[in-house]
Amino acid sequence: MKLNKNYLQTFIFVLVYLFAIYFWSQPLREIKIPYGEYDAMSHFEVADYIAYNDRSFLKLPDYIDTRYGNDNDFKPHTLWYPPTFHSSLAVMEVVGGGRAVPVYLMNTILATFVMITVYFAINSLFGFLPAILSSILLIFSPRDFLPYLWGQWPERFGYAFIPLVMYCFYMYFISYKKENSKPRYIYLAALFLAIQLLVHPLSFFHSVLGIAVLYVFLAVKQKKLALNWKHIAVSALIFLILFMAFPYQTFNIFSQFGRGAPSEKSSQFNFSRIFQWSLNPADYAGSVPESYFSFRDMHGLWTLPFLLIGIFILVWRREERDLFLLAWLIALYFVLHRDLIGKANFLHRSLSASAHIFAPLTAVGAVYLASLVKLPNNLNTYLKYAIAAVFVYFVVTVNLGAAATILNKGTYNPNPIDGKLTYDFLKTLTQQQFDAAQWILDNVPVGYNISVLGIPHEPNFLPATAYKMRWSMAVSQHVSRFYYLIDNRDTFTKVNYVMLDYTMVGPTGDEKLFNDMQSFEKNLTWHEIAYDKNNIRIYKPNGI
Amino acid sequence: MEFKIKDRGFAAFLLACALAVLLFSYFIFGITGVRIVLGIIFVSLPFYFMLNNFDLEHGEKFVFSLVLGITIFPSLVYALGFILSFRISIVVVFIFLLIAAFIMSKFKKK
Repeated sequence: MKLNKNYLQTFIFVLVYLFAIYFWSQPLREIKIPYGEYDAMSHFEVADYIAYNDRSFLKLPDYIDTRYGNDNDFKPHTLWYPPTFHSSLAVMEVVGGGRAVPVYLMNTILATFVMITVYFAINSLFGFLPAILSSILLIFSPRDFLPYLWGQWPERFGYAFIPLVMYCFYMYFISYKKENSKPRYIYLAALFLAIQLLVHPLSFFHSVLGIAVLYVFLAVKQKKLALNWKHIAVSALIFLILFMAFPYQTFNIFSQFGRGAPSEKSSQFNFSRIFQWSLNPADYAGSVPESYFSFRDMHGLWTLPFLLIGIFILVWRREERDLFLLAWLIALYFVLHRDLIGKANFLHRSLSASAHIFAPLTAVGAVYLASLVKLPNNLNTYLKYAIAAVFVYFVVTVNLGAAATILNKGTYNPNPIDGKLTYDFLKTLTQQQFDAAQWILDNVPVGYNISVLGIPHEPNFLPATAYKMRWSMAVSQHVSRFYYLIDNRDTFTKVNYVMLDYTMVGPTGDEKLFNDMQSFEKNLTWHEIAYDKNNIRIYKPNGI
Repeated sequence: MEFKIKDRGFAAFLLACALAVLLFSYFIFGITGVRIVLGIIFVSLPFYFMLNNFDLEHGEKFVFSLVLGITIFPSLVYALGFILSFRISIVVVFIFLLIAAFIMSKFKKK
């Protein structure tokens, strides 16, 4: 049996992709408990509610509604995103048979899906070597795994559609003939574009611009207009059917489109922005780390020469496939400069799409660099592989090392690292707290809220412990709140469940809180103990 | 619906890929990992059969059916989940899509 080269190459990609999953899933493998920022909670909550309760929902349950009830401008108190992304997680939660691991594993697969689509498009148009080098570089792209950790989950998956939509459109255009045209690619482009909109609107607009630029480029290059009204009508119909499938959510896009972002600069036309690629880190101080705006920190400075060579080669050569990558790059430029027309909301999020086009351009630059010099015999081929080896060496020594300092087993880990507790002890649920929240979900009737005492709520702790409280809410599917010891006990606590969490009092050394909790517990006359495990006690109101 | 593995090399390739992915999933994520991989294959399979009716490359069919499987399939399950149990909806949608793929192949042959 002869070994097929294509199969072998695909198998190599599969191994690379599995390594990506291995690398990106480090926090999950270490703690197996839901983690992340506020956005992560919302996505986990929606998917988990569907799967755990075995039903779809239109109206948000209370514990989600308290934060997201007004995020859908078109139809408040309903899902603010179309359900496509979350129901995908929900299906896998059902199939996987757990709560955190299936959702987080599936999310890791979806967040890294862009590696599959980039590999697919680049391999189809430029061959295996640029494609595999692009994928290897993307594994360690902080602009991809940081938003993934922050919880911008649907957006990560949405970006995977850009190469796919553009590829389908490209295939349609280059094979377009007035007679005997094969429209399947334009229908697929419309289908993927609509799905992309259902996954996340931001990346959808990016694809639309990509198609527009690609169309102009190819039309000029091939001196033809691919314009068939029948194809356009069928494509529009496919798009509209999907668009109208979840109108409460898709119409929310129009509402949000008109909404500005007052915190971001959008109103003043700044001419110098035209010549800037990235954004001003000072405009995002406090919400996005400064390194996120640095080319050196996000891509590695060593990639810059290859990137510029890649762009130079493509501009010089201008084959159809070269125009594909250039159109993608220019579309990103347009998206990143939409603040010039007053649309600055979530601008920094579009920056997170940069590696998806920079990586192929860098890989193309590296692979085609050898062809710039004329060498005898097969030396060009040897040089090409030598440069590819240098490329991989830099990825491993520079990018992997840098990525591993951010994304590792300690990320969001509430357990002691090298014997010491970290900031994440305050943010992420511990196993004991997760078990207690799970008990609440299984035993506390819907409609009862949980008052929590023991998780530090003082101003110096609150920015971190507010996360823990929200995660407790997400896992327990009940509204939970800090009990401040100053609430009117008679009118408040007697109608709520009360959770006394002693697990944090020791590590934080708060003796006063410990004494207050003990005294409070002794006087809980309206309640009886229902759960007592791992230093966490839950009291239920008498008579339930 | 036609899905014949004509090429032994292709069959060996599929087997090697499936084995690598399943072994990786089992050793890294346990049985949950295996179930997720099988779940992704499960939701993508009907779309592969549908796309198999069109003149597309192997790679295109794989990637497109994966994308459709993890997006369109769950969206349909969500829609059906308002009238049926979500779990039952998964099975119903799978059967429905398989039937659709079968009809599509019959229609294509004609």
